[in-house]
Amino acid sequence: MLKIEQVVAGYGRLTALKNIDLRVDKGEVVFVVGPNGAGKSTLLKTISGLMAPTSGRISFQGERVDGKAPEQVCRKGLALIPEGRHIFKTLTVQENLLVGAMIRKNAMEVRADMEMVLETFPILRERYNGVAGHLSGGEQQQLAIARSILQRPTLLMIDEPSLGLAPLMIDQVYSSLRQLNQTGLTLLIVEQSTGRIMDLASRIYVLRNGNVVLEDAPGNLANGNALDAAYFGFSDNAA
Amino acid sequence: MLILKRMFPVIALVVPLIIVVFVIDQFGTGNMQRVSTEALVRLVFAVGLYMFVGNSGILSFGHMTFCAVAAYASAWQTCCSMMKPTIMSGLPAFVRDNTFPLIPSALTSVGLAGAVALVSGLVLMRLSFFSASISTLALLVIMNVVFANWTTVTMGNSTIVGLPVYVTIWGALAATVVVIVLAYLFQNSRWGLMLRATREEEVAAQASGVSLYWSRFIAFTLSGFVAGLAGVLFAHFMGTVSLSNFFLNHTFIIVAMLVIGGMHSLAGVVVGVALISAVTEVLRQAEAGYSIGGLSFAVPPGTQELVLAVTMLLILIFRKDGIMGGKEFRWPWPARSDRLAIEERKVASVQRSS
Repeated sequence: MLKIEQVVAGYGRLTALKNIDLRVDKGEVVFVVGPNGAGKSTLLKTISGLMAPTSGRISFQGERVDGKAPEQVCRKGLALIPEGRHIFKTLTVQENLLVGAMIRKNAMEVRADMEMVLETFPILRERYNGVAGHLSGGEQQQLAIARSILQRPTLLMIDEPSLGLAPLMIDQVYSSLRQLNQTGLTLLIVEQSTGRIMDLASRIYVLRNGNVVLEDAPGNLANGNALDAAYFGFSDNAA
Repeated sequence: MLILKRMFPVIALVVPLIIVVFVIDQFGTGNMQRVSTEALVRLVFAVGLYMFVGNSGILSFGHMTFCAVAAYASAWQTCCSMMKPTIMSGLPAFVRDNTFPLIPSALTSVGLAGAVALVSGLVLMRLSFFSASISTLALLVIMNVVFANWTTVTMGNSTIVGLPVYVTIWGALAATVVVIVLAYLFQNSRWGLMLRATREEEVAAQASGVSLYWSRFIAFTLSGFVAGLAGVLFAHFMGTVSLSNFFLNHTFIIVAMLVIGGMHSLAGVVVGVALISAVTEVLRQAEAGYSIGGLSFAVPPGTQELVLAVTMLLILIFRKDGIMGGKEFRWPWPARSDRLAIEERKVASVQRSS
């Protein structure tokens, strides 16, 4: 569904992604993990068009999307929730959700989806006319997810959904992500910690210093040694 | 009822304005009427500026450009038919040798201002947040230099006199009401919502399919039209057009009003302009001197500017979102579910603070 081939990207003279190959198939939950500065966020930004890759190709459902503007990319069904719960703080919850549905034409469908989203995240119905900035961290993350679902994406990318959340909240966010995946949504999730991802992941990529150092299914990584080794750069995985 | 509720933020602004204008028209002195009319014209400009600045978060110093273009355009068409061929010899012949009716010339002048906004927006709105803001200042300087030196058309720094004066207090009020309604409809429209989203979070807005460029460009153009309308009103309120009225001084006063009232809501703009206009007028008279019981006293000249600056500083320090804090006037009887949420918030904030 999403195919990334030999992508190089960076900021000025700094190369953040050095030759990345990665794919996401339909219905999968793919995790990209790695330490700080590994290039995880850069990867999502590049896929969503917020950054243009220096070279390489990115194709989504058989169509090239690299070098396209972010608003064009998201119209193809690739949604991104940026790092740090970027919600529109002074807008109401309702307005936040409406921005998510902005690219869609069919008002009837949007209304039905809005209802569905409010079912999934009841807290948003309670706070519907309230200012989004007053929500707690976990509620804001739910709002960000809800907003991007209203885009009706076929692939949803999330940058560190657990960042800065209490453990209980992380569980909540993850269980809603699992629900979404069960309804057929493909997920590409970036996380820094590997702790919670095993039972949700279809496949895991480990990114370090702008390189993919490991790609495997969680079943094969069950004892954790290989994953740790790749993550921390022990032995032959050193990048 | 629903429409009343939905339009309440506008009604809460418009009704008091109408009442004030009515009272001043009936009981006010001639000077009070003049001052109020000028304040209303300024409000039209401020609301126009707000349509872009308030919704996009990008401060513009350049909107006086559109104001000036429209004021001059209207002067070219309507003023002083006898003198025009000599004092503004550089005008195209059909403008120079004819005088046009007021309404069509007002419309074309507003249109011209909007066109200038459209063309400059095509370029400036491609820039990022802060660059766009600074670039509007450049636009203002360009306009000023061109107008100051294009003497055969603009009379340079001299004042064009003899425009028909047709803007009354009620006329200015009508324009203000129309513009306030327009601004409110815009900010709640699809494009207004998108623009406010970019103001809060550029990245997330883009990721939701919002184009920074187009959303800003549309608002910039639209607010250029409104600024043009203010220019026409100003020209035909004063009866004169002078370049010095369209430069940094006036820009900064309006920006100060926006900052003090709160530039992220329509209510903030109206409150800011009304309040500062009233205060400035009181101070202006104090500078001119009052006489009470044979004793006359006056505050030192410059007090107006000083008070304005100090107020702005205090607001920035203690209430950085302005008097209105970016909020509109709300329907005072919220629905039950909202009331519960508000109560909960209060309880939560009390718990946090204890």
